[in-house]
Amino acid sequence: MTQTQAKATQVEHLLELENIGVSFKGVNAVTDISFAVVTGEICALIGPNGAGKSSLLNVINGVYQAQEGRIRFAGQEHRRMRPHDVAVRGIARTFQNIALFKGMSVLDNVLTGRTLKRRSNWIEQALRIGRAAGEDDRQREAAERVIEFLHLQPWRDTLVGKLPYGLQKRVELARALAAEPRLLLLDEPMAGMNADEKQQMSRFIVDINRELGTTVVLIEHDIGVVMGISDHVVVLDYGRKIGDGPPDEVRQSPEVIAAYLGTRH
Amino acid sequence: MATFTDNPQPGTLPQWLQQQARQQGMGIALRHKRLGVWQLRTWGQLAAEVEQLAAALQVRGFVPGASLVIVSRPRPEALIAALAAQWLGGVAVLLDPLEAAASQVTLLRELHGEWVFAEGHEEIQRLRAAGLAPRLLIYADGRGLAQVSQAGDTLAFAQLQQQRSDHRPELQARAERTAFAFYRLGAGQRIEQQRISHAELLQDGRRLVHSEQLGRQDEALAARAFAAGGHARYLLAPWLMAGFRLNFPENLATRDQDRRELGPTLVAGTRATYERLHAQVLARLPAPGSWRRRLVEWALVEHPGALQRHLGYWLIRRPLRDVLGFSRTRAPLLVGEALAPPTLAFFRALAIEVRTWPDPAQWHRPVPWPAPLVNGWIEDNTQPA
Repeated sequence: MTQTQAKATQVEHLLELENIGVSFKGVNAVTDISFAVVTGEICALIGPNGAGKSSLLNVINGVYQAQEGRIRFAGQEHRRMRPHDVAVRGIARTFQNIALFKGMSVLDNVLTGRTLKRRSNWIEQALRIGRAAGEDDRQREAAERVIEFLHLQPWRDTLVGKLPYGLQKRVELARALAAEPRLLLLDEPMAGMNADEKQQMSRFIVDINRELGTTVVLIEHDIGVVMGISDHVVVLDYGRKIGDGPPDEVRQSPEVIAAYLGTRH
Repeated sequence: MATFTDNPQPGTLPQWLQQQARQQGMGIALRHKRLGVWQLRTWGQLAAEVEQLAAALQVRGFVPGASLVIVSRPRPEALIAALAAQWLGGVAVLLDPLEAAASQVTLLRELHGEWVFAEGHEEIQRLRAAGLAPRLLIYADGRGLAQVSQAGDTLAFAQLQQQRSDHRPELQARAERTAFAFYRLGAGQRIEQQRISHAELLQDGRRLVHSEQLGRQDEALAARAFAAGGHARYLLAPWLMAGFRLNFPENLATRDQDRRELGPTLVAGTRATYERLHAQVLARLPAPGSWRRRLVEWALVEHPGALQRHLGYWLIRRPLRDVLGFSRTRAPLLVGEALAPPTLAFFRALAIEVRTWPDPAQWHRPVPWPAPLVNGWIEDNTQPA
C-alpha cells in the first residue's frame, strides 16, 4: 500500500452516499450517485440546472427518500432518514429560496434554530420551572454568538422582511448555524448576490468551516467561488456524476468542461 | 453628587487611573457591548489589567520611550494596551480605524512598529502587507488566525492577560513625555503626525471637565475614541480625570443603535458624527409638503413660540432626541472641525447646543525614523503643555 493510499484510508468520512437513485413518477432525478464527504472539508456540488443537485441535497436532508442506495452519516448507515432525525443527528441546511419568518426579528429567527437544543419540555417552559429556568438566557447567548460570528449585530432587532436579500441569506445561514450542525448543507448561498456580497458570504463559509470545524456541502453556480473555497468538488449532469475530486483536477476534466460549455448535449 | 476636584493632581494618565482605582475601585470604568449585553469593568479591574499587561510588555523588553502601534477600532483591549504602554513610559501610537486600508498600510510601512496591538485578522493582514515584523504582536480577536506564528512574537491579548506574574512594573510615565501619537497621510501622501504629552492632555482634559462640570455620574460613548488627538484630549483624559463611565459600542456599525440604547450624557463626536446623524434624520422625515412634514418643520423652528415649544417638544423634539440617542445628553461636544450651518441649526432646533472643542495640535512632518535618542528617551517633538 502506498503512503497516499494509507493516508486515504485514514481520513474520516462524515457522509457517504452509495448508489443513490431518486425518481419522480418514473423520471430519474438522480441516478447511481456515490461520493463521500470528508470530515472538516468544504464539498461543492456543481452542475447545470436540472442536474439533480438540489434533489441530492434533499435526499441528504431527508426531505426526499432515495428509492435506491444508502447514506452513511457519522458512521451510521441509514436507508431512510426523516428531516427531524437528520436535524437531531447534526445536519442543518439553508434553502435556495429564502425560508425565514419574515415578520420576526433576526434574533428570533436565529433562536428558532436553537429549538432542538432546548432541554425543557413545553410544560416546564409554560410554567417557567425545572430546566426552563435559565434556558432562555443560554439559548439567547448561543444565538448571540452566531449573530456576532456572522456580523449581524446591527440588524439584531430588525424584522427580517425589511432586510435586503443578501442579508436575509446571511440570516438563513445564521439560523442553520445556530443548530450547531456537524454538517451544513447550503443550497445556492450566493444566488442573486453582487460580487461584494459573494465575497463576504464566501469568507463566512470558510470561517464556519475553519473556525468552527463544521463540514460544509454547498451547491453553487459561481464556479470562481466554488474553486476558490472548496476542498472537494462533485459535478453532476443530468442526474449523473461526471466529476469528483479536488478543484484543480475537476477543472481539467474533459467531461466537466464539455458539460459546462454545452457541447455534450 | 461626586464631581471632579482639584485635590492632589496626578501628572499622567496612568496615575489618574491609579487614583480612580483607589477612590472608586468598585465603580464602573468601562462598558463594552458584546453578545448583545453590556459587559462591565470596574476601575479596580481596569487598573489591574493595565498593570498586568504592562508587566507582560516589560518582561518582553518594552522600555520607556518605546511605541506601541495600535491598529484597532475602539475596544477595551486596545485602550488597556495604550494605558499599559504609557504606564511603562511609552507612547501609544493610534491610527484612525476608519482610514482606508491602503493608507493604513502606507503609514504602517513608515512607522516600523516593533510593538503592535492589532484588532484581528484584517489588521494583521495590513501589517503583513506593510512588511512589518514586530517584536511583539498582540491581537484581540483570533478569528481567522489559524496560522499564527509559533515563535512567541504573536500573542492573543487574553493569553497575555492570563500569564500571571508577581512582577509589578514601576509606573514610569512622565508628565512632559508623549502619551499619544497620531499619524495620517496629509497632502501629497506625506506622513504627518501629532504627538501629545500627558501634561498637555491633562491640561485640556481639566479645562473640559471644569467647563462641562463632568463627574462620576456621567456616561460617554467612545465610538471614535482612537480617531484623532481631539478625542484623547476631550474624551480619554476627561474620563480618567472625572471618573465617569466610558462605553464602547459593539462595533462601528452599531454605534448609533448603542448610543440610542445608552443615552449618554456626554457625546464627543466629530463633524462626521453629527452630519451622519443629521442625514439619517433627513432621510427618514415624511415627504416634503405632507402635513406630517409641515408639523416637523413647525416644531423645529429656530425661535419657537410657547405652543411650539411645548407641543413641539412632546410631538417632535423629544422623540427625535430619543431616536438620535441624545435623550439624556447634557454635554454634546464637537471635537475638531466646526459643523456646517444647516447641521448646527438642526441640532439647535432640537435644543442640543453642540459645543465645539477645536483640536489645537498641528499636524507636522515626523522626524526621520528611528528618532534620535535623547538621554535614553526618544526626542518626540511633543507640543508644550
